[in-house]
Amino acid sequence: MLLAIACARDQTTDHPTRESTKSAIELTDDAGNPVRLDHAAKRIVSLVPSATETLIAIGARNDLVGRTRYDTAADVAALPSVGGGVDASVESIVNLRPDLVVTWQSDARQVVRERLIALGVPVFVIKTEDTTDVFRGIASLGRLTARDSQATAVAIAVRSTLDSVRRATAGRPMPTVLYVGYEDPPMSAGPTTFIGQLISLAGGRSVITDSSQLWPNIAMEEIVRRDPDILIVPVGETTKNPLVALRERTGWRSLRAVRLGQVVSVPADLVNRPSPSIAQSARVLLSALHPELADSTRRPPDAKTAR
Amino acid sequence: MRAWPVSLRLAVLGAVVALSLLAAVRLGAVFMSISALMDAIGGRGDPTTITIIRELRLPRACQAALVGAALAMAGATFQALLRNPLAEPYILGVSSGAAVGAVFTVVTGFAARFVWSLPAAAFIGAVLSMLLVFRIAFSVGRTLDTRVLLLAGVVVSAFLIAVIWLVLTFADTESVRSAIFWMMGSHANASWHSVGILTICLIPSAIVLFALARPLNLLAIGEPTAAYLGTSVEGTKIVAFATASLLTAASVSVSGTIGFVGLVVPHTVRLIWGGDNRSLLPCSALLGAAFLVAADTLARSLAGANELPIGIVTALVGVPCFVWLLRRPWSGLAT
Repeated sequence: MLLAIACARDQTTDHPTRESTKSAIELTDDAGNPVRLDHAAKRIVSLVPSATETLIAIGARNDLVGRTRYDTAADVAALPSVGGGVDASVESIVNLRPDLVVTWQSDARQVVRERLIALGVPVFVIKTEDTTDVFRGIASLGRLTARDSQATAVAIAVRSTLDSVRRATAGRPMPTVLYVGYEDPPMSAGPTTFIGQLISLAGGRSVITDSSQLWPNIAMEEIVRRDPDILIVPVGETTKNPLVALRERTGWRSLRAVRLGQVVSVPADLVNRPSPSIAQSARVLLSALHPELADSTRRPPDAKTAR
Repeated sequence: MRAWPVSLRLAVLGAVVALSLLAAVRLGAVFMSISALMDAIGGRGDPTTITIIRELRLPRACQAALVGAALAMAGATFQALLRNPLAEPYILGVSSGAAVGAVFTVVTGFAARFVWSLPAAAFIGAVLSMLLVFRIAFSVGRTLDTRVLLLAGVVVSAFLIAVIWLVLTFADTESVRSAIFWMMGSHANASWHSVGILTICLIPSAIVLFALARPLNLLAIGEPTAAYLGTSVEGTKIVAFATASLLTAASVSVSGTIGFVGLVVPHTVRLIWGGDNRSLLPCSALLGAAFLVAADTLARSLAGANELPIGIVTALVGVPCFVWLLRRPWSGLAT
């Protein structure tokens, strides 16, 4: 009986398309550091929630041994938490005996990375700014886990969804959009972020096109002056209707989009993750910006329009 | 307890430090049995456990002890020199200078590329701000007036904090987050390297301050009296200020700003054993070490893998203890 289970397990883990897991892997991470693994990673601690999603998408769920306190998806909730992404407990990570730790490029101190490297744990730094980073992340994590073909398949699927969204909006009028990353102080997504890119892909024209920052703070006056057609507000599961909240706030309530009810909430957990889920995000944004295009069969249940 | 000779006080506090270090090695996010712990200290058993004990917990506990000792001694010295019970190691702006250096490396991206650049810049920032404060203080009057020094420290500190927030206003979100993590203070980045550097700074500084204990006692009575009794008032002040500031600078550069230790530990020792600096300085060093090791142990074991900022623990645990001590009949302050 045990033998049978063991055999069954072997068949599922050793996927027919999986490359040899024994040979050494050398790859340059997104911060330009060379990373060398003696064999394909089998015990991975990911400190980057979007990288965790990518790993699950390419079929490497069983190679994960730890998660951060921000990974609450049912898939990984059973794994031990190692703390936050940039303030992780190095002790908890080491105790899981990882053969690969995936961490943030954006953490300007790199404390966790330096400690782990000093202790001989391979660390792969991942960049999570734009959609190019998402595709490079899929390829890199595929290489590190010897799942190149699954990674390629995931990348092709994501790309084809993005292409179909782009084609659907071709030639249509583009509403002006403000992505309300945060209300007070107002913060949006810059044009070079994956969210900024997905908005233009989904047929919207962000009113924030002149920011060199990734996540710029914007003065309320400037928002009133640019007067977007539609506001897109990422919300958590428990947040109340953003339109009701914005109608009560000075500045926001005088916007044309708020007065006309052109405020669309999108699930924050989905749109904030630069992972293969950008395909679904693109569809959600498409139905938010062009509700006339989202037919009943393709329309995801996530986008709640408050108009 | 008040009548204890200094040697007994030091022996008791030394034992407390040893106990806190043992607790620090035993406790943490990862549970460890006593036998696994003893094996790991001896270099036997599971290599992962050995790594956790020898490379993570031990250097971290040692760094907490050294920083605690340094801040408590610096605090005691500042309180004696400034004759002000509110004096603490950061009062002359050393921590703000260090924070400017640290924030500079975070925002420019140096900190991500060269891991040594953040502590190095923090130390340089601390020393430069200290020199600026002394330059201002010396430019007023013929001798070093501690009231002017105090004011210079407060205004330079306010200026530097404004500079930090100005820089962070225009920095990206990730840099702001990283900078704030640093400013909250933590021993998470401790290594044998940082412990070595701190030890090299601490030992000569401690010797200098212990040697100045008698002149500091006389200064506490008043500067003219101290001068009549044969103390080189200006020399003592300059050397003591410089040494205490360097201790603070070294501490801040490895662990960020950890409040409360430098203020309350010397007062605690004073409440128990009086204000004689010959006993106060070494006792504060040991109590500061034990207190910070215990606080760091709580910070990283109370909430599992989710580490608490150490400043929260020092204040939440330290304030009730201090108030209790203040209200004891023998504290000499209660009516």
